[in-house]
Amino acid sequence: MSSGRTRYAELQCTSHFSFLRGASSCEALFAQAASLGIEALAITDRNSLAGIVRAHEAAKASGVRLIVGCRLDLACGMSVLVYPMDRPAYGRLCRLLSLGKKRGGKARCRLDWSDLAAYGEGLVAILVPDEADDLCALRLRRLAEAFAGRAYLALTLRRRPNDAMRLFELANLAAQAGVAPIVTNDVLFHVPGRRILQDVVTCIRHGCTIDEAGFRRERHADRHLKPPEEMARLFERYPEALARTLEIAGRCCFSLDELAYQYPEEATMPGLTPQEALEKLTWEGAATRYPEGVPDKVAGILKHELRLIRTLQYAPYFLTVNSIVRFARSRDILCQGRGSAANSAVCYVLGITAIDPDRNDLLFERFVSEERREPPDIDVDFEHERREIVLQWVFETYGRDHAALCSTVIRYRAKGALRDVGKVLGLPEDLTRMLSRQIWGWSAEGVERKHASELNLNLGDRRLRLALDLARELIGTPRHLSQHPGGFVLTHDRLDELVPIEPAAMRDRQVIEWDKDDIDALRFMKVDCLALGMLSCLKRGLDLLALHKGIGLDLASIPAEDPATYAMIRKADTIGVFQIESRAQMAMLPRLKPRSFYDLVIEVAIVRPGPIQGDMVHPYLRRREGREPVEYPKPALEKVLGKTLGVPLFQEQAMRVAIECAGFTAGEADQLRRSMGTFKSTGGVSYFHDKLVQGMAANGYETAFAEKIFKQLEGFGSYGFPESHAASFALLAYASSWLKCHHPDVFCAALLNAQPMGFYAPAQIVGDARNHGVEIRPLCVNASRWDCTLERFAIGMEERFAVRLGLRMVRGLGNAEAAAIVAARAEQPFTSADDLWRRAGVPAAALVRLAEADAFLPSLKLARREALWAIKALRDEPLPLFAAASARETGTGLEIVEPLVTLKPMTAGGEVVLDYGHVGLTLRRHPVSFLREDLRRQRMLTCAEAMQSRDGRWLHAAGIVLLRQRPGTAKGVMFVTIEDETGIANLVIWPTLFEKQRRVLLSARMLAAYGRIQREGEVVHLVAHRLTDLSEALAGIDGRVSKGA
Amino acid sequence: MGSTSPPAEVPLVLIGREGRRRVVLAADVAALAAGLRPGMPVAKAQALVPGLAVQDADPAADAEALERLAVWALEYYAPIAAADPPDGLVIDASGAAHLHGGEAAMLADMIRRLGTSGITARAAIADSWGAAHALARHPLAHQIARPAIVIPAGESATAILELPVAALRLAPDMVGSLHRLGFERIADLASQPRAPLALRFGPELGRRLDQAMGRLAEPIDPVRPPELIAFRRIFAEPIGAPETLARYTGKLVIQLCAALEAKGLGARHLDLLFHRVDNRIEAIRIGTARPLRDVKRLTRLLRDRIETIDPGFGIEIMSLAAPAAEPLEAKQSLSPLAEAPEADVSGLIDTLANRLGAKRLYRCAAVASDVPERSVRRVAPSAPRTGLTWLDASWPRPSRLLPHPEPIETVALLPDHPPVSFIWRGIRRRVKRADGPERIFGEWWKRDAELSAVRDYFRVEDEAGERFWIFRAGNGEDAATGSHRWFLHGIFG
Repeated sequence: MSSGRTRYAELQCTSHFSFLRGASSCEALFAQAASLGIEALAITDRNSLAGIVRAHEAAKASGVRLIVGCRLDLACGMSVLVYPMDRPAYGRLCRLLSLGKKRGGKARCRLDWSDLAAYGEGLVAILVPDEADDLCALRLRRLAEAFAGRAYLALTLRRRPNDAMRLFELANLAAQAGVAPIVTNDVLFHVPGRRILQDVVTCIRHGCTIDEAGFRRERHADRHLKPPEEMARLFERYPEALARTLEIAGRCCFSLDELAYQYPEEATMPGLTPQEALEKLTWEGAATRYPEGVPDKVAGILKHELRLIRTLQYAPYFLTVNSIVRFARSRDILCQGRGSAANSAVCYVLGITAIDPDRNDLLFERFVSEERREPPDIDVDFEHERREIVLQWVFETYGRDHAALCSTVIRYRAKGALRDVGKVLGLPEDLTRMLSRQIWGWSAEGVERKHASELNLNLGDRRLRLALDLARELIGTPRHLSQHPGGFVLTHDRLDELVPIEPAAMRDRQVIEWDKDDIDALRFMKVDCLALGMLSCLKRGLDLLALHKGIGLDLASIPAEDPATYAMIRKADTIGVFQIESRAQMAMLPRLKPRSFYDLVIEVAIVRPGPIQGDMVHPYLRRREGREPVEYPKPALEKVLGKTLGVPLFQEQAMRVAIECAGFTAGEADQLRRSMGTFKSTGGVSYFHDKLVQGMAANGYETAFAEKIFKQLEGFGSYGFPESHAASFALLAYASSWLKCHHPDVFCAALLNAQPMGFYAPAQIVGDARNHGVEIRPLCVNASRWDCTLERFAIGMEERFAVRLGLRMVRGLGNAEAAAIVAARAEQPFTSADDLWRRAGVPAAALVRLAEADAFLPSLKLARREALWAIKALRDEPLPLFAAASARETGTGLEIVEPLVTLKPMTAGGEVVLDYGHVGLTLRRHPVSFLREDLRRQRMLTCAEAMQSRDGRWLHAAGIVLLRQRPGTAKGVMFVTIEDETGIANLVIWPTLFEKQRRVLLSARMLAAYGRIQREGEVVHLVAHRLTDLSEALAGIDGRVSKGA
Repeated sequence: MGSTSPPAEVPLVLIGREGRRRVVLAADVAALAAGLRPGMPVAKAQALVPGLAVQDADPAADAEALERLAVWALEYYAPIAAADPPDGLVIDASGAAHLHGGEAAMLADMIRRLGTSGITARAAIADSWGAAHALARHPLAHQIARPAIVIPAGESATAILELPVAALRLAPDMVGSLHRLGFERIADLASQPRAPLALRFGPELGRRLDQAMGRLAEPIDPVRPPELIAFRRIFAEPIGAPETLARYTGKLVIQLCAALEAKGLGARHLDLLFHRVDNRIEAIRIGTARPLRDVKRLTRLLRDRIETIDPGFGIEIMSLAAPAAEPLEAKQSLSPLAEAPEADVSGLIDTLANRLGAKRLYRCAAVASDVPERSVRRVAPSAPRTGLTWLDASWPRPSRLLPHPEPIETVALLPDHPPVSFIWRGIRRRVKRADGPERIFGEWWKRDAELSAVRDYFRVEDEAGERFWIFRAGNGEDAATGSHRWFLHGIFG
């Protein structure tokens, strides 16, 4: 010990990727290891390599070497730590784990000793012993046989009685078996203070409270990382076993950097190389896209792109995406590509995207850079309802050994953390639910004490305080692995030699243990097959258009650059339209005044936290309106930022600035982007800050300008939008706007059928359609189908269409039941409720749903109560005598003729309340109109009046809360949209008011706001100063006091 | 609630569980005024009303109390009275009201008397149980101010027409579906033909309607004061000798056991009362661990206590009662060939408990806690086994744990080593052998003081071969984990 520094490598360390067992992240573990002077750290999660990529990254950042490892808990109760010494051994370990996971099913792993022995070649194995008994001796002997020369026995201090004796006996056993003992510390967390959180996650895992946990808690104490000196002191008697840790560290030199990745082979064209096949397909596609001949400009772009693809050897990737898209087309599934490589001319002619390079100026090179050599990235969006067909096809086509989905690490968010910690500490569930309602969305800060005190909760309660603190500590901890919505990893060689694969919860799917970021970090290629609700909506819309109006269109053939559509967009008349329908987007539209497709691309990208935080929006708008000169300090900058008037709006531009102006290499620019996203709070950014500012200064830029650029780039870190994504989204925004502008009836029906999606509820979609002159017809048992449909009628000579609400709008009605009803009425319409029940053969409960939704009124003239009254008399099991009789008569007669009962008609308010309750919208009067007199008496203006008032006026307005938005612009401003019978009003809530009236804001269904009107051009806001909860008044409009709360 | 009840001005709610939610089951006047309603989640109620008093509802005790009120009404007012759960009494006042000065006066008297014991009551007299029930609970707006309503004979059927349908004693979901169909008041229902209603809502609706209208008789099943199994023996000449007392005790027990057997019961408590000639009563009460009607054992338990009786000038009457009796099933015992039956020690437990007091009799059970003081708890002698033990060979625990750790003087090396020697109760002991440390952390969820507390326990053996369990408060390195003073906590046998 006296000679020099003690050296030690920690070989047994559980990260929080052993879900609900380890309590520290890989980053924390490696940082702590570095500060303690531990040379190498092995991450040995239980039957899993899920955290190993994170560990790999953390190891690089901290300078402590990672030893890739895994703790295998075998079915026989034996636990072995294994470490691959080289790449083939790592492949075997992956296959072993995949095998166990396949047997064990989702999130379990079942392995036997024979499996380990079979796959053990090249693995170093350490037996984790319990007591030094016969069983241990037997296992040790087996291990020594199977892993000759690579077998070890772990000596671990437990801080329990007989520790010294146990170690002594274990060392003796090891000597008898000819196995070398080795020191490990069985680490569960990085610092001693994490012990409490570790107890909490143990309880969560066992589903018990801390008071009940008893001996289910970890019984062996002191599970934190210890400095080499302390390890040496504790294992004074076993210096060789301590030194041996470095021997293993030396033997296991496998690193994740060795994982070489190859693209899958596309065997679409026999006899052609992938590049030749791609070129052939490209020119064929170009001929179809441009029947009048390929324009010279496009031909030039195509040649250039193909050359680039050849140099980078990306042809197989493009072919893969192409075949996926082709398959979707063959099944008539609408899809569109986006991502860095998607907006290329090649992708356009292959039909992957619909953005015509002839009309748009999106340069492929900007997305796939030659020097960066990072894998191209194409995401393909599919109709959300039919994506599964595509996924299964991919599995089938590429084989289950070569294709799997990425996983998504589900981490604790504020709400989930509070719920689980609350349970462990025995807080009542309604209390934690109440508290978590105070958390806005996915907030990362957790519940703070002020929130609890606002709820009149007693902060003197120790458990409550502990729960709040521990919940905050738990935020960000992984809970389990789930599957990524559609990120595929496809390989040429066996995928299960790259990474363990496990079966997913959904049948016929399998996922790898790593998530998207891990895949990125290792530079694997992936194809994202995502689901997009708007594509389903557009598909339905285009189908309706073809069916009823005889107009056959697809995404690429929708008339481009239509002035009427842009005029509508400029008026912010965009409810229901893709992307540009949010409050923030709608507020921007009249200012940005889009007139061409590229304006839409900018619109989509600019209302994002990145540009807003980087303060790019206002400079851009000023320059656009000509109120500020567009200046470029250097011509280099004009090349990068010319299209966006000198303001960086897209992620690529930000990186380009770093490269062109500050002399970053492409790789460094990429690191800059990543570091801003992930290490925002840590010191990683300051390094780049200095480098960027100095680099720009060296290139002759002023420091102030450089600082401004850096600040803008920093904004992108949290959330920026790449131009290619913006372009793809803008196309969908344009397509949906075009449909809304020219065919509002079709758009309304398609949107209702694609629900739930977007910001607006059916009530607003229908209201908006009616404002645009679309006739909406009510639900009807004799006319509605499952989906909303179009019904043709004529006004004079003009042919018009009305939207008939579909049975899908009826709350609680199953699709099968609705189908049975539609099928049964095919021969002749139903004549009564009894007739419907008899012929459709659906249970009376389904009829009750229909009656509650008032679907018997239009054709059978049965009001809600009358229909319910009639249905109440039906029995799902008719008396056998009557059943026989009525079956003979094909059942139109009633079972019994009964005296007439007169039911009291329902109040108008009551009808509206039930409409909302059972259909989600009403075609009758707006609910608020019933309260209008009361509101007038309280001097409240209508929303329309309020929005027309002059700037600076103080007033009262009230309405139903449509949506609450708190964009991540960090300023904490909340937007609330309220609606009454005259229209909508936009409220702005400053954070001070938000904190003061949080409860009202987050829970009220109807709000009254007192505040000041703020007019900014055409955009009008009511800046709220005081809010009142009118939910009770709203609940009371059905004419009687509502029950309960 | 007695003395623990909060002051009247503090809003009070009673809560209970509805599935997994905690909801308000009942709210007092102040709480109702503050906007709280039954059915509301407790957390919401607490958020709405600062300083709300919250207590757990106890429906069983409520029912019992209501039963007692019924007995009170039976004794005071009328021969036929019964509880009308969950919140009322029903009394057949026919021929009883005149004794209290007429119907209105009787109700007023009743409300006043209930008021003095803190019960706010509403009362109504009508032709039928149903009508009175409805009127008392669902008064019309102009009746709310009057706590007592008397409807003249023959007018009840019209008096209830304006009341809500909920007043008809219907299931809540039926009330809900009636509302949905627009039947709000009883009148809405009464005017309808009966058959369609019966088809849709079953016979219950019509029955309740008829009962309220007085068209269908509804007898009241009056409460009876609980029947006590009791026997007494009157002596012509006062007796006093212990043997005589014991003899008659035996005879009473035989009688009592016969009565218990007839009812299939076993006694949990027996009260034996001795009425002395000077009008004083001496009493013996015994309890049993399980229901019992074994003449021999009960007699012995009672006889054991006779020595505590002071007969004075003689005892005139002896009475034996079983105020608490529970069903007693006979159990078939297994053949002793198959399995040795577990010794039944309940007899011993009864004997000891009746001699020493039930509270002094207990058994120790293990608790799953690493903290030694918390690893033991006292349980009732007949409590079922938990399955936990301390007898783990690899995890030795001292056979005697001191009630409080006692400070010792030590000479020890930090942080890993046991003391070389220590002084306990004035005697210096040199440590020859030792094992440890066993590191035990405080249970952080119990108290703030235990968040970071650590104890390092050592097993040590002195020169004489005596073994002790000692610990150091703290981990030997970090002062936040404890004072680093040493204590002796247990002795190995």
